[in-house]
Amino acid sequence: MLDRPATDNGPPTAAAIAGAVAAGQLSAQSVVEAALSRISERDPVLNSFTAVTEQRALTRAQALDQARARGEPLGPLAGVPFAVKNLFDIAGIPTVAGSKINREAPPAARDAALIERLERAGAVLVGALNMGEYAYDFTGENVHDGASHNPHDIERMTGGSSGGSGSAVGGALVPLALGSDTNGSIRVPSSLCGIFGLKPTYGRLSRARTFPFVASLDHLGPFARSAHDLALAYDAMQGFDPDDPACVDRPAEPVTPELARGAEGLRVAVAAGYFKCRSGEACCAIDRVAAALGANRDIDLPQAERARAAAFIITATEGASLHLDRLRRRAGDFDPAVRDRLLAGAMAPAALVDKAQKFRRWYRDQVLKLFDDVDAILAPATPCTAPLIGQKTFMHGDVELPVRANLGLYTQPISFIGLPVAAVPVPLEPLPIGVQIIAAPWREDVTLRLAHALETKGVVAAMRPPV
Amino acid sequence: MKRKSARKAKPSSSRSGGKKRGKKIANKAAPPLSHSPPPAQDWEDALVAASARALGLTIDPAWLAGVKFNLQLIFRHAALVDEFVLPDDAEPAPVFHA
Repeated sequence: MLDRPATDNGPPTAAAIAGAVAAGQLSAQSVVEAALSRISERDPVLNSFTAVTEQRALTRAQALDQARARGEPLGPLAGVPFAVKNLFDIAGIPTVAGSKINREAPPAARDAALIERLERAGAVLVGALNMGEYAYDFTGENVHDGASHNPHDIERMTGGSSGGSGSAVGGALVPLALGSDTNGSIRVPSSLCGIFGLKPTYGRLSRARTFPFVASLDHLGPFARSAHDLALAYDAMQGFDPDDPACVDRPAEPVTPELARGAEGLRVAVAAGYFKCRSGEACCAIDRVAAALGANRDIDLPQAERARAAAFIITATEGASLHLDRLRRRAGDFDPAVRDRLLAGAMAPAALVDKAQKFRRWYRDQVLKLFDDVDAILAPATPCTAPLIGQKTFMHGDVELPVRANLGLYTQPISFIGLPVAAVPVPLEPLPIGVQIIAAPWREDVTLRLAHALETKGVVAAMRPPV
Repeated sequence: MKRKSARKAKPSSSRSGGKKRGKKIANKAAPPLSHSPPPAQDWEDALVAASARALGLTIDPAWLAGVKFNLQLIFRHAALVDEFVLPDDAEPAPVFHA
C-alpha cells in the first residue's frame, strides 16, 4: 500500500468558498455556475445526480450576491453549492427515494428541513443525488438510475445507499452533500469514496420532509472534503424541529469553535473483537489513525455481532412494514434485490423483532458504560476498499460474504444505538478507506475534533480524484 | 403499577437446546455468519406461502428463491439474538433514545 501525498491542491472547501464570497472575492453566481459546469462535464461518467436544479440555484446565487451588494450579512456557508440524496424533499420535484414507484408521486410542496437550514446559512442547492432504492443498499447500485461510480476508479462501487452523495463530493462536483444513514449509508460511501462523513446522534438533526426507511434507525447527515466543512454544515443544521417526532429538544451545540482544541485530553481506544480488521487496507487505516491519536488501548463492544444481527432484523421488518402496500400493488416495479429482502422482512415473526428491540436496550446500556473510561472509539468503516460494480461477494478474512448485505457490518452495531460517528478517509493507494470515530451520545464535538486533528496531521484527507 | 428496575441479563434456563440454569451464555461470542444458505426446507415454502396469503402478497415463482434466501438470512440473524437470554422485565426500545 502506497501513500498518496499528504497535501494536494484539491478543490476549494466550503469554508474557503464562503469566505471568498463573503469578502467579495468571488460572486455566488460564479461559484454556482462553476459547479453546474463541473456537473455537466463529469457527471455523465460519475452518474451521481438524478436532478440538477439549475435555475433555482442561479436564482438563489444571484439573490445572495444582491444581498451582499446591499451590505447584508451572509451566512457561514454563503454561496456553497450542495446537493442532497434524492430522498430529501425538494419543492417542485417528486421525492423518488431511488425508486421507480415514487416517480409518480406529486412534486414535494416544501423543501426538507435540512435543506431549508443550509440555505438559511447561505448554501445553494444544485440538485438531487442517486441512491440505492429506498435506501436498502450498501453498494450505490440502482437498477432504475444505474450505479453511481466511484471517482477514484469508475469501475468500482461508491458504496450506499447514499452513493450519489459519495460520488458527488468525492468527485469534487460539490463540496458538500447530504445523505441518510440507517445502518451505515453515510459512513460506507464516505469510506469507499475517500471523503468525510458525519452521522450525528439519533435525534440530533431533523428528518422532516424526507422519505423514511426504518424510523427507529434513520439518521441524516453531511458529507464533505474536510472536517471543518462537516462542522460548518452540521452547525447550520442543528436545532429542534417539532416536525420530526424523533428530533430531541435540546439546544444547538456548535462544534466549529471547538475544532481548534484538537485531540488534547481525549482518551481514544480501538474497538477489538468483532471490529478487528481482516483486510490489509482496513488494518493499515486503523493502525495509522490509532498511532496518530496515541490510541494504544483496545476495547470490546459486548455482543456487537448480535447487535448487528438485531439491527438487520429490525431493518428488514420495519422496512417491510413501510413498503407493505407497495409490495402488494407494485412488487414488480421494485429493484428485485430490494423487493426480495422486503418480502422476506414482511414474513418474519413479530416475536423475533420484539426480542431484537429488547436486546437493543440491553446493548445500549452496556456500550454507554464504556464511555466512562474513553471519549472515543475507533473502528473500521468498511471491511474492504471499494468492490467492483456488480461484484456479489467479498472475502472477510477467510469467510466469503455477500457485498450488498455486508459492506456495513462494522457500521451497523453503532447506528443501532444511535451513537455519533465521524467517518474519516485514509488516503491509501490505489483506493482510500475510512475509519469510524465513535463517541458517546451528543458528543459530535469529540468526533469532529479528532477528525480535524487527524486532518491537520495529514493522516486523513480527501484526495483529489483522478476523474 | 411501578415496574421493577431492569435486572442484569440472565443465562438461559428453558430452551429446547437444554441449556442449564446458570450456564453463562451472555458473553459467548456469536458464531460467524457464512454466505452459503442452508438447504431449502419444506417449512420455508409453507411459511412463504402462508405469509403471502395472510398479508395479501403475490410471490412470483421467479422470486421465490430470492425471498427464501433472505428469509433464511433473517432467521440466521434472529437466532443470534434469540439465544441471548434477557430477563422477563427487559424493556424494548422501539422508539430509540440515545
